[in-house]
Parts: sequence; C-alpha cells; structure tokens
Amino acid sequence: MTHNAVVIGGNRTPFAKAGGPYAEASNHDLLTAALDGLIARFGLAGERIGEVAGGAVLKHSKDFNLTREAVLSSALAPSTPACDLQQACGTGLETTIYIANKIRLGQIDSGISAGVDSTSDAPIVVSDSLRRTLLKANAARSAADRVKALAKIRPSHLKPQAPSVAEPRTGLSMGEHQALTTERWGITREAQDEIAAASHHKLAAAWADGFFDDLVTPYLGVPRDAILRPDTSVEKLASLRPAFGGPRGSMTAGNSTALSDGAATALLASEEWAAEHHLPVLAKVVDAEVAAVDHPGGDDLLLGPVAAAGRMLARQGLSVADFDLVEIHEAFASTVLATLKAWDDEDYCRGLGLDGKLGTIDPSRLNVTGSSLAVGHPFAATGARIVPTLAKLLHAKGPGSKGLISMCAAGGQGVVAILEAV
Amino acid sequence: MRGAQVAGREVEHLDAIPGMGAAFARAMVPSRTSRVTLPRRISTVHDVTQNRARLADYARVCGFTLRDAVPPTWLHVLTFPLHIHLLGDPQSSVKLVGAVHTSNSMTLHRPVTADERLELSVHLEGPRPHRRGALVDLIGQVRVDGEPVWDGVTTYLASGASVEGEPEEVERAPFEPRSPQARWRLPADLGRQYRRVSQDPNPIHTSRVAAKAFGFARPIIHGMWTHARALAALENRLPAAFTTHVDFVKPILLPSSVGFVASETPGGVLADVVTKDGAKPLLRMRVEEAA
Repeated sequence: MTHNAVVIGGNRTPFAKAGGPYAEASNHDLLTAALDGLIARFGLAGERIGEVAGGAVLKHSKDFNLTREAVLSSALAPSTPACDLQQACGTGLETTIYIANKIRLGQIDSGISAGVDSTSDAPIVVSDSLRRTLLKANAARSAADRVKALAKIRPSHLKPQAPSVAEPRTGLSMGEHQALTTERWGITREAQDEIAAASHHKLAAAWADGFFDDLVTPYLGVPRDAILRPDTSVEKLASLRPAFGGPRGSMTAGNSTALSDGAATALLASEEWAAEHHLPVLAKVVDAEVAAVDHPGGDDLLLGPVAAAGRMLARQGLSVADFDLVEIHEAFASTVLATLKAWDDEDYCRGLGLDGKLGTIDPSRLNVTGSSLAVGHPFAATGARIVPTLAKLLHAKGPGSKGLISMCAAGGQGVVAILEAV
Repeated sequence: MRGAQVAGREVEHLDAIPGMGAAFARAMVPSRTSRVTLPRRISTVHDVTQNRARLADYARVCGFTLRDAVPPTWLHVLTFPLHIHLLGDPQSSVKLVGAVHTSNSMTLHRPVTADERLELSVHLEGPRPHRRGALVDLIGQVRVDGEPVWDGVTTYLASGASVEGEPEEVERAPFEPRSPQARWRLPADLGRQYRRVSQDPNPIHTSRVAAKAFGFARPIIHGMWTHARALAALENRLPAAFTTHVDFVKPILLPSSVGFVASETPGGVLADVVTKDGAKPLLRMRVEEAA
C-alpha cells in the first residue's frame, strides 16, 4: 500500500557567515536548536517520530551518530530513531527523499529530514602520514616496536590539515570548476550580479513580509539570516574583484555563496498522521531523482541536476514550463544561469541521453524568496531549507501547484525533486 | 555603595561582579574562632550581561548542548563571585578554607536566555547546628526586570564551628547499589577546564600539592561540575521550570571514572553519580518540576 508523503512544515536556525555569531556552536548544537524549534512549532514534545534523517558535510569523527545524538538532546521521545546520510550539498534534499520514500511505502508514518553544517567548527585532522604512523604504533605488539614506529614522526607530519573544498580527483576547488563552466557557457558578469542582487532583494522582501516567521527560530541572539544584505545592488556587486577564474574571471565573493553555519529541518508525514495530529499539510513529495556527471573526464561539475531533472520530468510527463515555482540552489549565480541554459540546449540534453531539451521557465517563478547567495549555504542544511520554503509557497498558490527543486553537489552529482500543493 | 534595607538587611550595590583574586585570598585565610559570625548584608549587582563565548565553553566542559536558554547551574556560576565576596568579608568567621560544600538547591522559575540582563544578589543565612560544626547558607537570587527567575541555596559546613541547638534531622532517600547506566571518564585536567569556565580558583581542584594539604590524595573535581554534568545527562527530560537539589556525598578524585544512574519517579527524576561499580553514591540529585 502506498501513501502520500506530505510536507507539514519546517524550522531552521537563521544562517550566518562562518566564524560569525555561531562560531562557538557545534553541528550538534545547531541541529538540536533546529529540531527543538520544529518540535515547539508543531507540538511534538515527547512524541515518537518514525525516523529522523540528517547529516553534515563537514563532520567530526566523534559525531558518527550526529542526528541520533541531536534527537536525544531534543524534546522528541528518546525512542525516536535516527540516521545520518550524506550527499555533499544535496544532503538536506536526499534526507527528505529518504524520509518521503519510507512514508510512501508505509514503513513510517512521520519523519523529519534535516541537515546542518558548521564551517566554523570544521574538523581539523592530522596528516595522512602521521595518522598511519600513529595507527602503526597503536597496533605494535611490543614497546620497542611502538617506539620504532613513533620515531618515524617528522615535524612536517604535525601540520594540521583543514578540510578542503577541492574535488579529490581534479584538485580544483568548486569555484575553480564552476569558473570553467562559466566560461564554457558564456555566462556574463552582469547576469551573475543580477541574480545575486535579486536573491538578496527577494529574501529581504520575504523577511519584511513575515514569510519566514513560521519557518525560522532565532538562535544565539541571531534573529534572521545574517548574510542577507538588503541594500546590495548590481552596481555595488560590480565593484568586487574576481575570486575565481583568474584576474579576468567573472565570479566574485558577491555572486558566490559564503561559507556558512546553520541547520534546517522539515517535518513530513502521511496524510493520515497529519490529520490525526491536526497538523496542516502544505505539499506532497511527488518524485525525486539523482544523477551524476563525469567531471574528472571534463564534464561541468555542477550540472549534474540537468540529467536528473530530465529523467524525472520524462517519467512524470512534465516539462519545466509546467512548474509554478522553481528552486535552483544558488551554489554560484553562474550555476543557476548555466543550469537554465543547459535546460534549453537541445544538443547538451541529448548528450545526456535525454529525448530533448527541457525548455525554459518564466524568470519570475525562480527562487521567489531568494536562495543560497543571500540566505547562506551551510552545505547539508540547504535542501532542508528549500523543501518547507517551497511547500509553503506552493500551498499559498493553491492545490495542484507544482514546484521543482534542483540542487548541485560535489562529486558531479545532482539531486532534484517535485513537490505539489495539496 | 550601601543603600536601603531589605527585610532588615542592608543592601550593598556593587558596580560590577567583584574580582575573585583578593576576596578569594581572604576567603582562604582560616578562621581561628569557633563562634560563627556572618555579614548580614545583601550584596547585589545590577545589569549583568552574559558572555556567550564563556557560556559556550561552560556548556562544552559540562556536557550541555548550547541553547538560547541557559542551564540553571550557569546562573549559580554567575553568582559565585558574590559568595566569595561575602565569605572574604572580615565579618565572616566562615571561610572557604575548611568549609565543605555539602548540598545545593536551585529553582529555575522560567527559562532564562543568554541575552537577558541579570540582577544578582547573594546573602548569608545561618548558622544552623550540625553534628560536625555549623551550616551556613548562601542565598542567591537572579532577577530580570525585578522578576525573580532563579533562586539558589548553597550550603557549606564550617567544621569545627559550633552553634547551639539540636542538628536538624535530614531524611535522605535510601541508596540502593545498582549497575551504572552510564560511565563518565573524568580527565586529570578537568579541574583546570572547569576553573576556566567557573572562575573558581580554589587550588584543591587543580593542584596535587594543594589537594594533599587538604587531605585529598589527588585534586578533586568541583561539586558544581558534577551537578552540572548530571543535569546535562538529563537535558531532554528537564522541564521548563524546575527545582533541583544535590547532596555532595563524597569528593571525586581526578582523574577517575564514575558511574551515573537515573530513574523517573512520580515526584520527579532521582539521579546519582556513583562509584564506577555502582556500589557507593558520590552525589545524589533530585529534579522536580517547579510549581
């Protein structure tokens, strides 16, 4: 028997720049704060939820059970199970898909999807050579063997290794990869700065309207998204120096997402569970798909979602024009622009094995309350930020309204999903 | 500054939380008299802002999740310099040295957030008779805009001091040895870590030499760390407003491993920090929802 998996709502912390107001907060602290806000909003204290799925991209080894530990610190019943999932920047959407699938299969009747990241509290690890030396010393059978192993430690081994955002197979950072895509697709500086300015303006307007009042709970004295610059403009953004793509590059700190801290959650359930608990239903999860590209072979690192969207839309018999609202995660302004161009490129889409291009959308339907450039992008949290935001927007448009989510992720991967208002 | 009287007590308004150095040194000078004298005034500080970085450090050291609402033991830590201020007063025959922190009670009347400005006050009450000396109580209160949000009672036993009267009979829930449901490993530097966040400079928690001088084989962890750690272990079961009482039964030497047991009862949660084998209690704690 299959069920509808519906989004009831969400809660997140305000997002903030790395090293800012959440500098002292760990992933555990942030995720617990986001969960407790969700629990308070929907009266779930003491409730056993079917499952909580969460994750973080930058994770300490001691946090192997991060989500379960946050559940135990939260007001949920301690009998609520949890698991950790990770799919780079797609994590928060992948956890939503996991929970929705279990609900649709009748394995659980309620669930929470979540994601969190703290670039402030990122793990620092020892070098691989030191780690191997220490492991060897630990495994030594005699004191003499242990001393022999430890004697191999060299000063150069002691340099701590900060986590890197470089792709392991190419050695290029995500920004450097995107700079290649920006050039290949002929994305202009002006178009990128327009996307960035619009993101800030739309987010500022949504905050001013009170749109986020039932989606965000203040944390550590931060009342709203701290990266947001309501007064930014295309002119101000045009004055920034290039950050990626060399001195003549068009990608700047203004049209790229900032390293951020924050956590987000979404509450999903079967329609029956929502009705029993007298909770509102906003939208159902219709379908989802993941895809990957061969970026070590030269493909565009962040265009994985194009094939994912193409396959999912073909299966559903939909085109991108059928969507009332579209959320494309703004890893970089040029990612959004390249995705839109790729959707409308017959040859590119056929090259992905699709039957043809996906088409174009009305720009007024895109990221209507702003996206990651203005909100910030705590990697694993972004998907769980977008899901309740889009569900609320679709619900306001009326039953049957459809929304598309497209998220790029490291490793050349892409995650997409369709929500439909109920 | 001395001001008006409250309930027959003079009120001393301090401009800032007093520094610990000199007052602490005075509080460490042993008293020669067996007759107990105590300063009668109420010491207060207004408009105290909470340091979020120190709160985060406190939460990490004690095992709390960092939340907007602060642990009630954190409010105790904020009032602690006023304890030292009063015990370091020349009028106080009870000094920190030779006094044993035997029990502690506190009531959180409502959640207190880290951005609230606090008014702290502490005064001494007692002495009360005890079979090994005299008990004195440090009565603390935290107010926000005049509204009491936290009340605390810290009880010290001044051994050697004497007070007329019969010692009060205290009934304790019987202790039943059982296997601990959790084990905490307390590292050797835990006293130093807690000193950093509590600013309690008592060297018996950090120095082997000082600990030996007071009859302990090794440094002992602050009782209020153990109290905080026990509350942190219950974090998802703590009501929004509650009273908690602890009896410090035996000091915990550093480093060491101890056990923890907790059980829900109709009256609230009973929790014990116990020896590693669960045979003997080290700290006994009750938590009850506040009315």
